[in-house]
Amino acid sequence: MHNLSTKKVFALFVIFGWILLIVADRVDELRVYQGATIAITTLAIASIIILTGYSGQVSLGHGAFLAIGAYAAALSQTYWQSPFWFTLLMSVIVTSLIGFILGFAAGRLSGPYLAGTTLALAVGLPTLANQFTFLGGETGLVYDAGNPPARFGEDFTLYKWFFWISAFVVLIAMFLIRNLLHSRYGRTWKALRANPTAAQLCGINVAQSKILAFTISAGAAGLSGALLGMISIVAPSAFPLSLSFTLITGAVLAGVTSLAGSMLGAVILVVIPEIAEVISTSLGESEKVISNLPGFIVSVLLILTVLFSPNGPAESIRKRREHHQKAKH
Amino acid sequence: MRQFFSTILIGITLGSIYSLMALALVLVWRSTRVVNFAQAGQAIFSTYIGYEMMVRTGNFWFSLLIAIIIGSLLGAGVEYFFMRTLFKHADDGPVAALAPVIATLGLLGVIRSVVGMIWGNEYRSFASPVSTDNFVVAGATIPFSRLNVLVIVGAALVMIAFSIIFQRTNLGLALRASAFQPEIARLAGIRVGPIRTIGWTFAGGAGAVAGVLVTPNDILSPNSLDTLLVFGFVAAVIGGLESLPGAVVGGMVLGIGIAFILNYVSTTLIFPAVFVVLLLSLVIKPNGIFGSKKVRNA
Repeated sequence: MHNLSTKKVFALFVIFGWILLIVADRVDELRVYQGATIAITTLAIASIIILTGYSGQVSLGHGAFLAIGAYAAALSQTYWQSPFWFTLLMSVIVTSLIGFILGFAAGRLSGPYLAGTTLALAVGLPTLANQFTFLGGETGLVYDAGNPPARFGEDFTLYKWFFWISAFVVLIAMFLIRNLLHSRYGRTWKALRANPTAAQLCGINVAQSKILAFTISAGAAGLSGALLGMISIVAPSAFPLSLSFTLITGAVLAGVTSLAGSMLGAVILVVIPEIAEVISTSLGESEKVISNLPGFIVSVLLILTVLFSPNGPAESIRKRREHHQKAKH
Repeated sequence: MRQFFSTILIGITLGSIYSLMALALVLVWRSTRVVNFAQAGQAIFSTYIGYEMMVRTGNFWFSLLIAIIIGSLLGAGVEYFFMRTLFKHADDGPVAALAPVIATLGLLGVIRSVVGMIWGNEYRSFASPVSTDNFVVAGATIPFSRLNVLVIVGAALVMIAFSIIFQRTNLGLALRASAFQPEIARLAGIRVGPIRTIGWTFAGGAGAVAGVLVTPNDILSPNSLDTLLVFGFVAAVIGGLESLPGAVVGGMVLGIGIAFILNYVSTTLIFPAVFVVLLLSLVIKPNGIFGSKKVRNA
């Protein structure tokens, strides 16, 4: 998609959305729900790609931003009775603000320090829900998108409605992110990641760009968190530490520098538990193995990717292709 | 006043455990410039081995010994088979700097799911080798038991052993030299590779002790040591991530701080408080209280 104009990309997104709608009409409930999960995970992974793949900062705690987004949306719905679109907007605004503040600290930390700090954030933040009663404790808050409009007919299910909303919101967000990464800011981040000293010499304000990346990444994560809250629940248990790990795994699996890869990563994350189930039932394994096999497969994939294709399969393929083309000339 | 002293006692107990975990992280950081997130996984595996031994034999000291041996071997194995391969392969591209972080995270996932496959995800309890009844001093019970004494003494023994090894032996000298300047250490005839493996071995052992000592007070499950990893990391950062005494002091400061929050403020505010402490110590004193002046970019 590198040489396409914005208009053409927009058309592609519209066509893709159309195909999604048609497909969603033809498959069963479970698949529709998984489709919504894939859409939401895609956006969450994209938020990590902005941060890690482009600006070179690593976050092990993006689940915390998802949680903040979900709670911001749910709170504005519970206490202000805001319309649904406004709750989504709130989730973006609030998480961006918090991302902006944390970005100041993050800009001063190098790799492992930042990783550990964000890890502490992901562990610590969900426990706040038990401290303040207005956050609803362990049971969390109620957050929903309302029933599907009556004009869609009787057999338009709630899950399909969830899917429509998630797919629509995520497509818009991904389109905006894509444009951002192809703009001056995207190039700035790339320069920064490749060589911070050289970027500084070119007049790039390193601290500012890093904070900006953190802000936008947090905003995108918050939006996906609100959507996740919509299809599941808004409670501490919905945002465990493993969520953060899963997201970074998805980002690395698909190639942490390619935005297009984020959807591949999301699909892999949703498909792996299914594959694990098939494997373990065919082997007749015990309950212990079945419940731990998905985590095992994901982690092994993560390690293999880091060892043998650290920049992701997409990047490896691109490199190989470039190599071939050079050989031809 | 009594509450004040009992808070200090609890804080020292917590601090001993955090110090051990911080020591493990610092040992690895000094030898390979990696924050080993898999440390929690290695520790939980060794703890489960200790648990299994405890169930089979009923002898705590034997179980602890086996757990330490397994933990050390696991640490050595991770360095030798995993980290070396990693550094051989992931040396260029945008992710190179992040590869160790992500790889150890993956390793944590693998170890944890293997533990889950072997022992299951359910909570287990690790029988305490000594009484957990609180001591009675002058007619008043204080929240301090023989188990707490065991934890403090155990952790102190490990720290004394480390300080003897590091200050008084040739091995310790080699460890310090290769942490300080690998290149120069190599020129001075130190084989840096095996020395690194030894650093990881010690770290694995320290993590195992931390896991086995903390678990009788707590529950045992495949991810029950995750919080310990976070606290150990915070303690290590407070101490500067470079210095072994720093790790111990950082652990104690954090442990006593947490005990005061527990007793005087709120039990649910611990994690947010720890996060704030971490941020403050990183922003105000990024090199830690014992860190060297020279900032190293990792």
